[in-house]
Amino acid sequence: MFRKKPKNASTLSDEDLVLELQREMDADRFGVLYDRYTAKVFQKCVGMTHDRDLAKDLTHDIFLKVFTGLSKFDHRSKFGTWLYSITYNYCLDHLRKSKRKQEDDIDEERGPSEHPEDAFEEQLLALRSERLLLVLEQVDPGDRAMLLMKYQDELSVKEIQDILGLSESAVKMRMLRARERALQAYHQLYREDA
Amino acid sequence: MSQRNPFQVIRSTDQPPESLRKDVMGSVKMLMLIMRFAQLFMADYGNLLFDKVRLLGSKPKGTTPGDSSKDS
Repeated sequence: MFRKKPKNASTLSDEDLVLELQREMDADRFGVLYDRYTAKVFQKCVGMTHDRDLAKDLTHDIFLKVFTGLSKFDHRSKFGTWLYSITYNYCLDHLRKSKRKQEDDIDEERGPSEHPEDAFEEQLLALRSERLLLVLEQVDPGDRAMLLMKYQDELSVKEIQDILGLSESAVKMRMLRARERALQAYHQLYREDA
Repeated sequence: MSQRNPFQVIRSTDQPPESLRKDVMGSVKMLMLIMRFAQLFMADYGNLLFDKVRLLGSKPKGTTPGDSSKDS
């Protein structure tokens, strides 16, 4: 049982670490990946759930999911992107299940909104941060995820496509709906101010 | 635009609790242990099956391998 230890796992790139872990599972090497990404994953979970305790549980489960799924990681994307997609999807699944709320089917047939897309964006970005927090708590988890990916993590449509496994038009349509619904929630919350 | 993106303002900067690392690594080690046991069990189970096949397929003493004339 005199296994050759890796030179220094902390100096390896994410992709090299994953390759080593795919060859042979090792808790110490996985610990290096954990240390690199735990804050990001935890913060993403807090952003999605607004609940530190729940975020802690979700982060724990996400890292176990990553550990058991490492053999399936095919290196076509960066490890960080893959982890990001697991994080978002896991949080979304959890929020949807806990709210027992079915996401509305997207009506792809619906024509363009009478409001220009840019106007929604401008209004959203003009919200005060404390109000935005409340609005995000009101909207569907799927809408929240879309808005956070686009405006907080500044991901491109292509990256969101990869994370959610949707077509370009579906991502754009969901984004539009998410903005619309967030503004509706805002107007309901702050009707007097509107 | 002079105004700051409110989505960036509300970005969480919370640090994960210290205890989380211990929890995650404990679960990872437990999983590894379970996987090792499963591997061991599967390996033994495979060997067992292999032994059975050999026993059923083995010729009685005195026959040479490939000698089919004695079977008929």
